[in-house]
Amino acid sequence: MSSRPMARIRINGSAVEVACAPERILLDLLREDLNLTGTKRGCDLGTCGCCTVWLDGRPVLSCLMLARLADGHEVTTIEGVTPANGLSSVQKAFVELGATQCGFCTPGFVMTATALLRDRPGATREEIERAISGNLCRCTGFLKIVDAIQAAAKEPA
Amino acid sequence: MHLDPFELHRPTTIDETVALAGRLAPDVDYIAGGTDLLPNYKMRLNVRANLIALEDVTELRGLTLDRVGAMVRLADLEGNPEFANAFPGVAEAAGEVATPLVRASGTVGGNLLVETRCFFFNQSYPWRESLGFCLKADGDKCHVVPQKVKCYATFSGDLAPSLAVVDAEAEIAGPHGRRRVPVANLYDQGGDGIRRHHLGPGELIVAVHFPSASRGLRATYRKLRIRPSYDFPELGVAVAARRGSDGRVERLALALGGLETFPRRFDELTAALVGTVPTETGVRALAEAVQKSVRPVHNTFLAAEYRKKMAGVFVRRATAHVLGLGETAG
Amino acid sequence: MAEAHTPPYRLIGGRIPYIEGPLKVTGRAEYTDDIRRPGQLVARLLRSPWPHARLRSIDVSRAKAMPGVAAVMTGEKYPTPFGVLPITHDETAIAVGKVRYIGDIVAAVAAVDEATADRALRAIVVDVEPLPEYTDPRTGTEKVAEPIHARGLNGTNIQKEVVQHFGDVDAAFAKAHASVRVRGNFAGVTHAFTEPMATIAEATPDGRLTVWSATQVPHYLHRALSEVLGIPMHRIRVIKPEVGGGFGGKSDPLPHEIICAALSIETGRPVKLLFDREDVFVTNHGRHPTQNDVRIAVDRDGKILAYDIEALIDGGAWSSFGTVTTYYNGVLSMGPYRVPNFRYRGRRVYTTKPPSGAMRAHGGTNIRYSVELALDDLAERLQIDPFDLRERNALPPHSTTVNQFRITSTSFVKCLHAARERSGWDAKFRQLPYGKGVGLGCGFYISGSNSPIHFTPKMPQCTVHLKADMDGGIAVHCMQADIGQGSNTLLAMIVAEVVGVDLDRLHVVRVDSDVSPVDIGSYSSRVTFMMGNAARQAAESLRDQLVRAAGRITGYPPEKLEVGHEKISVRHRPDVSVSYLEALHGAMERTGALLATGAYTSPPMGGDFKGARAGTAPAYSFAAYVAQVDVDVETGIYRVEKVWAAFDCGRALNRLAVEGQIEGSIHMGLGQLMGEAMNYRGSRLMNPSLLEYKIPMPQQMPEVECLLVGDDDPEGPFGGKEAGEGPLIATLPAAGNALYDAVGVRFHDLPITPEKVVRGIELRHQAGRPWKGDG
Repeated sequence: MSSRPMARIRINGSAVEVACAPERILLDLLREDLNLTGTKRGCDLGTCGCCTVWLDGRPVLSCLMLARLADGHEVTTIEGVTPANGLSSVQKAFVELGATQCGFCTPGFVMTATALLRDRPGATREEIERAISGNLCRCTGFLKIVDAIQAAAKEPA
Repeated sequence: MHLDPFELHRPTTIDETVALAGRLAPDVDYIAGGTDLLPNYKMRLNVRANLIALEDVTELRGLTLDRVGAMVRLADLEGNPEFANAFPGVAEAAGEVATPLVRASGTVGGNLLVETRCFFFNQSYPWRESLGFCLKADGDKCHVVPQKVKCYATFSGDLAPSLAVVDAEAEIAGPHGRRRVPVANLYDQGGDGIRRHHLGPGELIVAVHFPSASRGLRATYRKLRIRPSYDFPELGVAVAARRGSDGRVERLALALGGLETFPRRFDELTAALVGTVPTETGVRALAEAVQKSVRPVHNTFLAAEYRKKMAGVFVRRATAHVLGLGETAG
Repeated sequence: MAEAHTPPYRLIGGRIPYIEGPLKVTGRAEYTDDIRRPGQLVARLLRSPWPHARLRSIDVSRAKAMPGVAAVMTGEKYPTPFGVLPITHDETAIAVGKVRYIGDIVAAVAAVDEATADRALRAIVVDVEPLPEYTDPRTGTEKVAEPIHARGLNGTNIQKEVVQHFGDVDAAFAKAHASVRVRGNFAGVTHAFTEPMATIAEATPDGRLTVWSATQVPHYLHRALSEVLGIPMHRIRVIKPEVGGGFGGKSDPLPHEIICAALSIETGRPVKLLFDREDVFVTNHGRHPTQNDVRIAVDRDGKILAYDIEALIDGGAWSSFGTVTTYYNGVLSMGPYRVPNFRYRGRRVYTTKPPSGAMRAHGGTNIRYSVELALDDLAERLQIDPFDLRERNALPPHSTTVNQFRITSTSFVKCLHAARERSGWDAKFRQLPYGKGVGLGCGFYISGSNSPIHFTPKMPQCTVHLKADMDGGIAVHCMQADIGQGSNTLLAMIVAEVVGVDLDRLHVVRVDSDVSPVDIGSYSSRVTFMMGNAARQAAESLRDQLVRAAGRITGYPPEKLEVGHEKISVRHRPDVSVSYLEALHGAMERTGALLATGAYTSPPMGGDFKGARAGTAPAYSFAAYVAQVDVDVETGIYRVEKVWAAFDCGRALNRLAVEGQIEGSIHMGLGQLMGEAMNYRGSRLMNPSLLEYKIPMPQQMPEVECLLVGDDDPEGPFGGKEAGEGPLIATLPAAGNALYDAVGVRFHDLPITPEKVVRGIELRHQAGRPWKGDG
């Protein structure tokens, strides 16, 4: 007996009820049905991290998540971690320290980095490298991304 | 990339799950974290019309030192300090799987039953169609060893060898009730890349149980891969040991994955060191014997020859480490 | 490395964050796939499963009849060939007559959604006559019954052959004190940017066609669309949204872009075409798999007497930039050293594989690797320090190479000194324990190809328009393509610097062929130099208008005025000044909004012989890198621990961007060195995924110390030169030579995987050659 045809997900703090086939992928729902295009599609197979969102605050790959299974959970996207005015400390550090070049991977990194600093504010450089090793960047070589995360760690959120 | 339509079922108890699976068989798969299943479904590898989500089955959750539910996320296992203290090799292996993003969703049960891999199998539908489908999906021949009608897809899970060497047991539920199987025996040693474990139709792993006698064993998991993240094991070596106060080896268990169609323990070989005071020579002999006995095929990035040689190197280093001998060069 | 910007400039030379940074970090930057046009259809492509086959028939009737399918298209609809180089128009939008690689496009469908389009693709029946596949480039030089392209040289699969000889190479080798021969085999690599190709096309009832595409070359795309679709350019509008990386992979007009437009014309609706990751791999256009054979002769002081180079280049199914590649694999060995005698024979052959094309440091990477390893070998034999050998051979500034490259500025020797000193070379070279080593690698690269490929050298390669209006802002129009390298920011910086205004007054308008004056695109590292000069000229023109107005207001003649920060004042009388806005409004009194234009045309240069222009550039960047590696000699797994990257880009105009380019280049270079490879079994690409194509992870990145020691270039904008591709080149040989220092093995073939390291050490043992106490 199938689940009901709607999914009820909290997205960026608001309850959203959306018609959703069982095979609908969360990334597609976010980008196409809800017009939340900040989360990017890089590979659709979990091999790049551009689609990173939070599920109950935890960074996950939205391209490998059935939208229906997010039902009852809290999804946060890049739109949800951006303050109403200005930029978060992670976002500001990414801009100022050159951690974003083409920017396509950036929302995914911001999601991963923001969660990391929330949970492990004292993360070492090594721990940061490990934590971001699911997000691929082809432009920066990662160095300035790690610098930015370290710098953001020192700023008040 | 989109998925072809399927029915999604969300049972809440084991009994309901097993009954559902029985009713829908054989056109059914379980979905746990989805990080192994969904990429394969997107590439149209053996897709089914029914998915049973294990998300809501509460009995599959829970993490204690005695029992880890099958739906426990790899990140939670890796990040649990008490568990890591008791079973360092298992925590280490959990932390070596894929990437942090995958580990946030991927589960213990999912990793135990991760689909075997081969670079002729793990390809998109058009790719496979253009070459001719293989034995493991839609076809009737093996592209790796064309003269055999047998599948050589490699066992690619990281957890299984580490669980095997601490004598962990998998609790399985099925139409005929519950049973427990040592993790080492979960996999079909006589099987191949397709028929590779002993779970029957509709059976699922409920939890992994840990003997308290295995707590605190010195253990490690060493993974051979090109990159420190993302990649599946080209070789995985798990070893666990305990030395007595007299310096003799009380326990020593070794298991390898990532080389053949199943992970394998090497009890006959490690037995030789039990009861002895370990020496570098003894460890080297063990490593050489293991190296001799493994037979990887070339269906991954690194050449089979090299992986075979590294089996010896990794076994030597890992075993020396857990026996407190230091990992000197060969 | 926090540094204040270098005086006397306010912005130039500083560390200036990208102006669109806030949009990128919040997910608000708009990439092509983020755009949705009302009523848009989805396009999908049917790709050939055959490496080489003659198309006998394509039955699309069932696909066409499916509900939700708006159009099905095959090659004969638009058969006009195109290609990025005018001399090699050998591609068609959809295959015509035959298919030439697994992945070649056979048909296209536009439908209401992806699932419907895919179902339609599966209903298309293609009947073919299989033809022989050609996978080994070595057989490409043989005459065959069915060459891949009819234009192959003399019935072979040779796409291009270059033969050059300057001086007398054989005589030089005859009198040489020492010589070395190196043969290198390089796997193909690919760009693997994170944003898959995406295009939207919308044909409207007014007869216009608008195309949004993730492209590095909006102008070339514009031309190709016009040529193939038979629509005059003025009725086509090309818009370039934010682009998620290119590195040369989006620097051709690509078949799918034309197909998307064609489908929109056919259906009368907007059509979006988004690539899967596998599509991206199979489209390729990456660095060519190459085999080279390099001989170098030197005198007893290590001065280079001659290079004798052969290159066999595996082109794949199409030409792309291949003619240029064939030249570059030879001629880009002509720096950073003086080479008095040079002979080169390069051949690029078609094979039935995904086409190769231009990829960052196009044509200059593989040959550089072989040359630098050869020079290190010679240095060792002559017992000369590798640094000394390089310095003895350095091209002097304001010189001409034997093949008539015009060298202007070069701070190569400063790069050598900086890298040597900062790395602690003298205490480390050959002195670190077995398994650890340091290596030197050098390089140079063009700062823009001197000749535009489509029109005569008399046309500017870049034009910039500025508009200053009531709102006090300055809009900048230019078709230059920011693909993440920061060219929008540089454009704004240059104008802001010259006009004396705050950076936030600048608004770099999204590239739109309706308003953006032509710039030929982001490739060959031309943008800083050429766009920069055009921007400077435009800004000076605008500034002059403002100064004249300030003169009218203050009563002082323009030559007595100077531009300050947001104001124009009388020199030596700072109390007499007008604000920028006052000057602007004053200037506008007679004309309304101000317009200013600037352009850059490269000076004529190069010899008179065939192919002379290939490799000419108005300036060159130079590099000397030291890499330090640590090898686990038993497993062959190694790590590059640090790179000291001494780079001459003239004046580094935006230090933050230059560092980013160096670090990103090192990452990409190390990728090619350590494990990136397009793995083929015959014609078949085995690893079209980001899982199996091994881009290095953060833990594998070395520490990088950028040493920006360039002197101002006499022709570069504010003295600047390129820093987008040159920084990649020196990475590979620095690490390759470091591996030799570490384990005593020269790895001439790339990638150098752990198994090759183990094998190399084994062979050294078998040959009875000890190294640093091992064996």
